[in-house]
Amino acid sequence: MKPPAAGRTRLSFAASCHLLLLPSVLLLLLFIYLPVMWAFLKSLYEFEVGSKARFVGLANYLEYLVIDPPTWPSVLNMALLTLVGVGVRLTFPLIVAKLIHSLPFERTRYLYRLAFLIPIVVPGVAIQLLWSRMIYADYGLINEVLRTCGLGAWTHSWLNDPRTALTALMFFGFPFAGGFEVLIYYAGLSAIPESVNEAAALEGCTGVGKFLRIDVPLVLSQLKLIFVLTVIGGLQGFEGIFVLTQGGPGFRTMVPGLWMYYNAFAFQRMGYACAIGVLLFVVILGLTLLNLRYFRSAEEMQGGTS
Amino acid sequence: MRRGRLIAIHAVLLLTAVMTLLPFVFVVNNALRDNSEYYRSFFGRPEAATGLGRVVWRYATADQRALVIRDEGGEARLVGRAEAAGHYWARLTAGSRRAWVVLRPYVLNSFVVSGLTALGVAVLGSGAAYILARYRFLGRNFIFGFILATMVFPGVLTLVPSFLLVKQLGLLNTYWAMILPYVAGGQVFAIFVFRSFFAGLPEELFESARLDGAGHWALYWHIVLPLSKPVFSVVLIMNILGTWNNFLWPFIVNTDDRHQVLASGLYTMARSAVAGSAGTMFAAYTLSSLPLLVLFVYATKPFIRGLTSGAVKL
Repeated sequence: MKPPAAGRTRLSFAASCHLLLLPSVLLLLLFIYLPVMWAFLKSLYEFEVGSKARFVGLANYLEYLVIDPPTWPSVLNMALLTLVGVGVRLTFPLIVAKLIHSLPFERTRYLYRLAFLIPIVVPGVAIQLLWSRMIYADYGLINEVLRTCGLGAWTHSWLNDPRTALTALMFFGFPFAGGFEVLIYYAGLSAIPESVNEAAALEGCTGVGKFLRIDVPLVLSQLKLIFVLTVIGGLQGFEGIFVLTQGGPGFRTMVPGLWMYYNAFAFQRMGYACAIGVLLFVVILGLTLLNLRYFRSAEEMQGGTS
Repeated sequence: MRRGRLIAIHAVLLLTAVMTLLPFVFVVNNALRDNSEYYRSFFGRPEAATGLGRVVWRYATADQRALVIRDEGGEARLVGRAEAAGHYWARLTAGSRRAWVVLRPYVLNSFVVSGLTALGVAVLGSGAAYILARYRFLGRNFIFGFILATMVFPGVLTLVPSFLLVKQLGLLNTYWAMILPYVAGGQVFAIFVFRSFFAGLPEELFESARLDGAGHWALYWHIVLPLSKPVFSVVLIMNILGTWNNFLWPFIVNTDDRHQVLASGLYTMARSAVAGSAGTMFAAYTLSSLPLLVLFVYATKPFIRGLTSGAVKL
């Protein structure tokens, strides 16, 4: 660190530092802090874009929590989708990473890692369109395969049938192995010291038992990272649902984020949409705080065992 | 490891890889077929590719006989090899050419938006992180806290008010409606990652450079930047991936088509009349993946090295 000089020079040095940080700070004030303030403020009003706002107090919040019919079904959908999302993202990519990691040659390991990374170059919206137009469509991949196998009676309009729409969303992305997760788990597995593996082998701890008792606890921090990212993504993400089902049929696949979007940009209820955003923020913040607490205790536990 | 076990592992991995990548193989394959082929059957080789293969084979074996081609009306004609090649090539690329006409402005807009955002994030992020990491001054911790605290606010909280703000500023249907919020949000992660890396650089480097008479600017330019290439590659690739794939925000702040980017443009395209032609849509998916594919061909190695060398702490 540069030793701070005394008196005026010190102050002018601080001023020049502040000046250089000013663009960053101004951008944050304008494009993050101001919208955050507005979200809270405008959630107390009822207004369309361009028209005069009417103060309604907490009526927006009450309406969302008590009256609006899609609220609770959509919360349930969000919870189910997030739960399933967490479940698959903590297992499938980890198993794939472990299988790749257990191969003897670096060359094949590298090729597999590359193969599972390729899907990230395809724009997310293209993948979603692909699943809705090619895989789940009436004449899509699944139905064609079923017809070819003589199971024509099993075909469904997967995303339009109220009985299958939510399940279809859960299976979106199957087998859940394309993307960053495999790489992140792989990095975690690579970081396990060779001495640990040797000790495990000496004790006769191999295969699935070794995976569950040694590998999984040692990639706990990677598992937690994916867990947090998936939960937050599950609570606030709705782009995929917007493209795949638009929340339908009915409210069968509606989630709170998408309902916020519709209220703002389809029904022109900006204040109401802000209120939904604030409520989602409160939930996310609460879970983050819970997680921080859990995070520390888990870290201590890990420190204790190793 | 026992042989049977190795085979089992390969079998599982190959099956998973095939299931992961098969949809994309279908897309590229169907991008080369026309509508009638697609609706006849979902699977199958592109006829134009088969035809082109036949022509190439005739050239390779110096076979001069004419070939039968079918016009769009289905009428058969006997033509020479060169014309047949042109015919099949035109059929093979028909979807891509139709898709490219629609996509080209979107791709250019995406380059402008993602490129300028990455530039802004690199300059602002690394500059701010350097000052915060290597200098001690009044209010430093407060400013760092002020910057980091924004990570608490999820996008879902600011989506609607940000739209209202951008509208009030008169920025709807401009590049700035995307670039400015992207830079504002993107620099935070960049500052976080850069700062922890810069702070870990050994002080001796800086001291000896200072003894040689290097100023603040020279320290940043000649010491910090050359050492930070892996971190830059990780931060910039993450940033470009995020902005390139962002679909919702461009979709919201572009009410007309002029500044629409690739992701939102694809969605608009899929809902327009062009989407009636399956081949065109599949070609569009394929074309839209090429820019990031190129980026990855060049950047995978430094990116993976940056992520796993411990230079970047997430």
